[in-house]
Amino acid sequence: MCTAISLAWSELPTELIGRHRLERRRHDRGEGGEPEVRFLYRDHRPRLPVWRDGRLQVVRWGNGDRSSRFLPRTGWTWKESVDAGVWRHVGAVRVDIPATLGYERGVWFRIRQGIRGILVPDEEGVAVAYMVCVPATHYYRVMTKSTHMPLLIDQDL
Amino acid sequence: MFSYMNPGVATMAVGHLDADCFYVSAERVRDRFLEGKPVGVLGNQGACVIAKSYEMKREGVKTGEPIWDAMAKCPDGIYVKRDFRWYHALSLMMLEAVREASRRVEYYSIDEFYFRAERGRGETFAGLARGLRDRIRDRVGVPATVGIARTRTLAKLAADASKPAGARAVLTAADEEELLDGLPVTEIAGIAGRRAARLAAWGITTCLHLARADRALVRRLLTASGEALWWEINGTPVQPIHERRPAHKTLSRGGSLGGATTDPRILYAWLVRNLERLIEELRYHRVAAGRLTVLVAYKNDRTGQGRATLAVPADRFDLLLDVARPCLRRAWAEGETATHMPLIAEDLAPRGQASLPFFDPPGRRGLAEAVDRLKEEVNGRIGRFALRSGATLYLPAIYRDSANDFDICDIRGKVCF
Repeated sequence: MCTAISLAWSELPTELIGRHRLERRRHDRGEGGEPEVRFLYRDHRPRLPVWRDGRLQVVRWGNGDRSSRFLPRTGWTWKESVDAGVWRHVGAVRVDIPATLGYERGVWFRIRQGIRGILVPDEEGVAVAYMVCVPATHYYRVMTKSTHMPLLIDQDL
Repeated sequence: MFSYMNPGVATMAVGHLDADCFYVSAERVRDRFLEGKPVGVLGNQGACVIAKSYEMKREGVKTGEPIWDAMAKCPDGIYVKRDFRWYHALSLMMLEAVREASRRVEYYSIDEFYFRAERGRGETFAGLARGLRDRIRDRVGVPATVGIARTRTLAKLAADASKPAGARAVLTAADEEELLDGLPVTEIAGIAGRRAARLAAWGITTCLHLARADRALVRRLLTASGEALWWEINGTPVQPIHERRPAHKTLSRGGSLGGATTDPRILYAWLVRNLERLIEELRYHRVAAGRLTVLVAYKNDRTGQGRATLAVPADRFDLLLDVARPCLRRAWAEGETATHMPLIAEDLAPRGQASLPFFDPPGRRGLAEAVDRLKEEVNGRIGRFALRSGATLYLPAIYRDSANDFDICDIRGKVCF
């Protein structure tokens, strides 16, 4: 599973950085270049950025902390399930997760645009995002030793 | 023309241009986010680092290293998938820029060029080197290093010693001595391993030691090719600039199997894939193969080999497959895990010069040629490998990934590789 993403600092509006205290997620990689904001599933409060209705938001990533009693206790879902309408009855909508990098089993890999996701409300109406996954390509499987990968937007890996 | 030692007098020299960590630099041209960060380009199947940035190199990552070792050394490393189509496009832009600066250019490899450096009135070789380096940076966006000297070998050593983004002209005796003095003899392309050990036994460990050594001794230790290097580092050019690639003596295709396998069906599928690629190359160069070799490398370091001579040189799929099949059978070791399979065509003969064999009846020949023509036509219109042998259906992942449609060996015209 892609357990973290990173987004270039310039991709996030200052207002959003302030409101969600994203400064603490800032990471400077290497000796220079643009800083990043990291979103890790293993965070105490896991979050993901999502584009919804033309607006960038930062929302809860999955239900690993079991805040919801009825949502799946994970942060990922299969594309097959989404296509089959499994999520329709809980009011899920498709969203895009902007990402500059993805992370899986120790490997940071470049993402050109982002990852497909879904957004569902929990019983209190709080938006929760799930990352959509597909079976891994040969390349991804060799690179990360993982059998599945995030569904990337307009990108073959 | 190369004998002058005074750079104020000499008007011609040899230049060498080498792009700095080219694949990573090429990725940065279209992706500024990667600037200043440790970046590794993964090759073949996503298993090995085929190029790395200076930031990643500083962490100890080496070219050819498996990704899992690189990750441990450089946890912050960013990995990108290779894209030889893009690298090729930038390589051609560099070639064009070098050709504008010189009337004689050798396209040595995807990121290396040799050229004749000509100094006009009021110009200096150092200025020429700087000008070309800056032109490549401005026009292509790739950092490069340029070395200019009396010979190819000296020019390459000058460039290698000035990386990254350097520009250096080494034309006086003092400059040459300074360049050669500190450099290990293994910095010279063509001296490594056993040859270096042979020289070390005579106390020859630096390039300057080699330049000062007795020529006859160097010839005895390193044969005529070593003597050529001796002349080169002493300023006498013996290696010309090749504006065109010399004719191939052999052609080969294949390599990694994209994961180890013991399955003979997978091996056969790779044989057919590599053969189809080899035939494309034979046709491009208008030659036919007189001999075919199939090598299979196994995990236990053993290599199996099958070799066959064709009755008549051929470039036709059916004829070559008839020969390749028994070669694979000989190279195959049942139960052993295979990792690589190159196919090599030798004894190349001009296409069409070969007389048709008696065992190739017109009916079969006509059919086979029609299939080959159809294949070329369909693939030319729709895309490479769109129409291919059914035997390759055992490699769905390889054909699904469009990055496998164009490899570095598909870049033609280079002298090296």
